Amino acid sequence: MRSTSRPAPRAPTRDPRARTSRGRRLAALLVSALLGGAGASAVAPGAGHAAGGDVERGRAVFAAAGGCTCHTDLPGEGEDAPWLAGGRALSTPFGTFYSTNITPDPDTGLGVQSEADFVRAMREGLAPDGSNYFPVFPYTSFTRMSTRDLRDLYAYLQTVPPVRRQNRPHDVGPPFSWRWAVSPWKWLHLEAGPYQPDPERDEAWNRGAYLVNGPAHCGECHTPRALSGGLDEALRFAGSADGPEGELAPNITPHRATGIGDWSVADMRWYLETGFKPDGDDTQGLMAELIEHGFSQLSNADREAIAVYLHSLPPIDNQPRGAAASGR
Amino acid sequence: MKSVSMKGFVMKWQRSVVGMLIVVAGLCVLGAGGAAASDDEAWIKYRQKVMSSIGSDMGGIADILKNGLPLIPNIEHHARSIAANALAIEPAFEHRVVAGATDAKPEIWQKREEWRADIEKLRRAADQLAAAAAGNDAAQIGPSVKALGKTCGGCHESFRKPKEESYKNR
Repeated sequence: MRSTSRPAPRAPTRDPRARTSRGRRLAALLVSALLGGAGASAVAPGAGHAAGGDVERGRAVFAAAGGCTCHTDLPGEGEDAPWLAGGRALSTPFGTFYSTNITPDPDTGLGVQSEADFVRAMREGLAPDGSNYFPVFPYTSFTRMSTRDLRDLYAYLQTVPPVRRQNRPHDVGPPFSWRWAVSPWKWLHLEAGPYQPDPERDEAWNRGAYLVNGPAHCGECHTPRALSGGLDEALRFAGSADGPEGELAPNITPHRATGIGDWSVADMRWYLETGFKPDGDDTQGLMAELIEHGFSQLSNADREAIAVYLHSLPPIDNQPRGAAASGR
Repeated sequence: MKSVSMKGFVMKWQRSVVGMLIVVAGLCVLGAGGAAASDDEAWIKYRQKVMSSIGSDMGGIADILKNGLPLIPNIEHHARSIAANALAIEPAFEHRVVAGATDAKPEIWQKREEWRADIEKLRRAADQLAAAAAGNDAAQIGPSVKALGKTCGGCHESFRKPKEESYKNR
């Protein structure tokens, strides 16, 4: 259908060409909808490749992904929640989704998936039977991960304690409950393919761009969403009042007044290690979990790379306001 | 006729006295309300200063560590300052104010014992960090800072409004 590789990460852009390309995509979508096309692509289930990833590297990839804490029901079941066994309610403007069991349990978890299935899920948002995953699973970012990282992450996930727990059905109504309807959504919002380094930039910047846009999937929460549920690219990383679980995700562009323009690289490194902001305040909510179970285990070099990349973004003046305050 | 008009005058006079009394009483209530509101604001401002002092000391400790400043002995001073400010928290929240420019949750007054226990954890963790810094015990400073940080987050999770409900983000 489309090429699965793309040249560069999606940077915040106000480039009119980007709008044109989006306009063309929308037009193409409408045409294909009228012709009755754009259904789920029929791809054969995973070929069952033997797992060849490196568990220790996979552990580091897992940390870069924030410890995948959306798959542990910490808010509902507390610290005793079965680790990575899913069931966490993720409330979105489209309904409540429940995260899935990613422990290697053979009946209810990832145990039924081959490495190839896993890579395809992360890169293309497709289940082993070829149906679409809902984009609450942020494959729009995970698609940027390298094949090596995906294979290593799979290998690591095979080593966590298996938990037998059936996935809970999502509490979402039509049309958001229609998996086939995700295909046109993907046509608009998913450009599958791993991150391609920018040769004009140094290693730290490229590493930061990879982490931020790939495994750490920062933009998924820190960018407001358009009505379609896709990211509003003009405000990429500029904060969102409608983050997952109704949380407010602050502006992480280097804007001095509304973003993190006054944070030094050391501030950012310390923040991702400890959760303490430059003013001495702590972090709560989902970000505190991502730091505790993920980013605090990254190397200092990786935390600094994230800072270098975020500081290189165009500063955007945007102050997301609390949903409660605006009467929603 | 005259007696009637006299009676009318007395009635009018009585009415105006009652009316004035109502007006005066109303003004008193309003005045008291206004005084209470400005009082509430003063309480909020004061307790925010106590909490900010602790935040500033935490920020100072972090600045020393994250930038490698040769000021390890100062960590002891900051930690002692936090322990002292921890004693100021409870009196600062004696007066219950949950409306206005504050992120204090009503739970502070509903679960008083739990809240007190959290403050005590903060004070003890600050004392431990002060001892580690005084002994120049590098191996203990890092974990003690983390333990102290956990007490901030633990209490805020239960007793401070999350950022999406914060008055700062309205």
